[in-house]
Amino acid sequence: MEQREAAEPALKRTRDREPAARDEEQLVERLKSGDHQALEAIFRLHSNKVFQLAYKLTRDRTESEEVVQDVFLTVYQKVRGFRGGSRFSTWLYRLTVNAALGRLRRKKRSKEVSYEDFLPQFQPDGHHLERPVVDWSNDVETRSSGRELQDLLTRALNQLRPQDKAVVVLSDLEGLRDQEIAKTLGLSVAAVKTRLHRARLFLRGQLAVHLGYSPT
Amino acid sequence: MAKATGSAKMRLLKSDTCKEATSLLLDYLAGTLPPKVKRAFERHLSICPDCVSFLKTYQKTIRLTQSFLSQNIAAAKLVHVERSLSRRLKKSKRSR
Ligand SMILES: [Zn+2]
Repeated sequence: MEQREAAEPALKRTRDREPAARDEEQLVERLKSGDHQALEAIFRLHSNKVFQLAYKLTRDRTESEEVVQDVFLTVYQKVRGFRGGSRFSTWLYRLTVNAALGRLRRKKRSKEVSYEDFLPQFQPDGHHLERPVVDWSNDVETRSSGRELQDLLTRALNQLRPQDKAVVVLSDLEGLRDQEIAKTLGLSVAAVKTRLHRARLFLRGQLAVHLGYSPT
Repeated sequence: MAKATGSAKMRLLKSDTCKEATSLLLDYLAGTLPPKVKRAFERHLSICPDCVSFLKTYQKTIRLTQSFLSQNIAAAKLVHVERSLSRRLKKSKRSR
């Protein structure tokens, strides 16, 4: 009955928390003057969300706990440089994504896989290379067990480049807009779109190959 | 007149091909294609079952990924993290 623990958390609801903004500003001011209790208060307010976001990106509890530590240590060390041009929670969000990304980069990705092998290919005249393209959208779940799909997606997501994985999580799970993702990751909007599209094509290709079709 | 409009539309997709259509999928689903390009894209779909299948499986991939990613998000147990953080804070210096 502890199911609710695993329910989808709330960092993406950042925009709904406007009333708390003032309190947050005060806490940040106190923190700037070196008040440890302010950090404790900020930790209690935000550590859960930081953990959940880190977990979405790393899918690893220990790594996510490390991210929580890194992030709050950075907050403490860098808060004086935080100008308040953006919301504190936005800053925290970016610190979290980047700390998690750093950990993903350090961790060896499971076997290097060529993206190209799973992207669609086309004939010289622009048609799909293998035709007909099979529509497996209605039967993929009956043709594979839930377990198989879980394993496949775990593997495929781990084969994405860390930044591409972050783009997928921020877009398709967190529901951020391309512009927000671009700012969070320090990319151009065009680069975000390209990465997201390629990542989706790669994941689609993995599913197609799993079902015995060409990625085309 | 109708003919001119038709060929103008045609040129909106650089080359009315599956390759071109596939490259527009993300913007099409995000609803960010300019209206004329969107119409040209949909016209391509109306004559190309391959691209319809591709679109459906692309969408299905997004849904499967979403539902996979939103499952089993671990609950945080951060008491020990808070403790170890305050130990580290005591040792750490602040940057200016
Ligand atoms: Zn086509």
